[in-house]
Amino acid sequence: MLWYEMTGKENDVVVSSRVRLARNLADYPFGGRLNEPSALEIIEKVRGVFDGASGYSFTQFNMLSDTSRRAEADRHKVSPEFAAKKTPTALIESDEKQIYIMVLEEDHLRIQSIKPGASLSEAYAAALEADRMIDGKLRIAYDEKLGYLTHCPTNLGTGMRASVMLFLPAITATRGIRSLQDQLGKIGLTIRGMSGEGSSGDGCLYQVSNQITLGTTEEEIITKLEKICENIAEKERELRRKYFSDEKFNDKAMRAYGTMLYAILMDSVEMTKLYSDVRLAAALGMIDGLNVNVLDKMLICGMPGVLTEENENINTPTDRDRERANMIRRVLSGNAGA
Amino acid sequence: MLCEKCNKNPATVMYKENINGHVKSFALCAKCASELTEMTGYGKSVYSQGDSLGDVFENVNSLFGSLFGLPAQQVRRQTGEEKKCTLCGAAFAELVKEGKVGCPECYKVFAEELAPTISRIHGTGVHMGTAPERYKEGRERKEKIAELESKLKRAVEAEEYEEAAKLRDELRKLKSEEGDK
Repeated sequence: MLWYEMTGKENDVVVSSRVRLARNLADYPFGGRLNEPSALEIIEKVRGVFDGASGYSFTQFNMLSDTSRRAEADRHKVSPEFAAKKTPTALIESDEKQIYIMVLEEDHLRIQSIKPGASLSEAYAAALEADRMIDGKLRIAYDEKLGYLTHCPTNLGTGMRASVMLFLPAITATRGIRSLQDQLGKIGLTIRGMSGEGSSGDGCLYQVSNQITLGTTEEEIITKLEKICENIAEKERELRRKYFSDEKFNDKAMRAYGTMLYAILMDSVEMTKLYSDVRLAAALGMIDGLNVNVLDKMLICGMPGVLTEENENINTPTDRDRERANMIRRVLSGNAGA
Repeated sequence: MLCEKCNKNPATVMYKENINGHVKSFALCAKCASELTEMTGYGKSVYSQGDSLGDVFENVNSLFGSLFGLPAQQVRRQTGEEKKCTLCGAAFAELVKEGKVGCPECYKVFAEELAPTISRIHGTGVHMGTAPERYKEGRERKEKIAELESKLKRAVEAEEYEEAAKLRDELRKLKSEEGDK
């Protein structure tokens, strides 16, 4: 199952947990220095490793349509950079294990695992399992001092980027993100809004991740990140109780929920805004029977790539907004008894 | 005044080069200056956060701060003789321009040139995490050797010669295994 179709731990604050390991084959150049025959050779080698491995499937990713590639990025299975590449790429995936291996992203291999809620250790265990399968069969670039060798020196060492997606409406509203950013920077972590550098974060979604990859173990990175995210979540909950449990917010959130249930056309900007208020209200128990993960599913299914892939009759932006409103009604009425 | 390199943008940076004591200076625009002296990152989506070297620098000012903090020696190397990577054929200047490393072998060939950048990003630590299977045996052996050596030292100091002889034999065996590799 995909991460957003499941209910995760601590999901009032933690949306998802992701671990990615950067790995490269020792005998091939990186990126632009890799010619097409060598690129295809790498793809074949990696395909060979997972050939017959139960639960895994292989896709020559660059052969998919633009829409499908975009949809996979919207689902957080691959990076937008990977989805945009026209040169040979491949995806080895297991929805069941929630493992996605991007072949020829920035590095030859990016082993990724994304899981719902607070589940970094589980995501790391899954990524490690795939890493071990590859390690036995391919010669991976490694140096005793520098660790795993990567295209960009920022990923040297463990080659690991662990990140947790957090829903922080109360910290955002109380202007606490900047100070959080400063504090995290001091301990080698970063926080960023989902819509890019320094943004306030559409839908109040943020990603907290490790910055340093060399000189520390994978377990240390995971433990540190887990602990810090627990603290952030506690702070967020405290602020929610203090500033958002009143009737005024309840009214605002129920109006937002009403719009979701009855709108005929909905663009993605409006959806994201409503998502934030309704998700917060659901997390505070203000909306009977509405699980926050239903809203996460709605957000992903409402992304342009996923919507277009799942509805063949979308030709104009208005078509898309209509299908989005339909989808939202379907998802909510199916789950919340509305 | 226009940049002396591209002749397009206004010059905002004085770039000094010291080759064997011969100092030359150029007036450059920010773009040419950064291309000449430093590996810079590219704007990327939030998805690959922390993946580009640009993230190492908080803003343009600190970028230039670190750029002029480069040892003169390194600048000389970047502009001086052409050493090329044995696997991908890249010269160090090309890596600087691309902001990325050319292939795994580059880390060996340009170890000295890359060291300041790596320690600026990660500090001075060495890799502590997991390793591919083929390296694990060697790593465990190294740890065992270090442990036995300190035990041997203690045994000699305590004049426990029988124990010391045993440890010495064990060490000899491990070291010969290491030599076989």
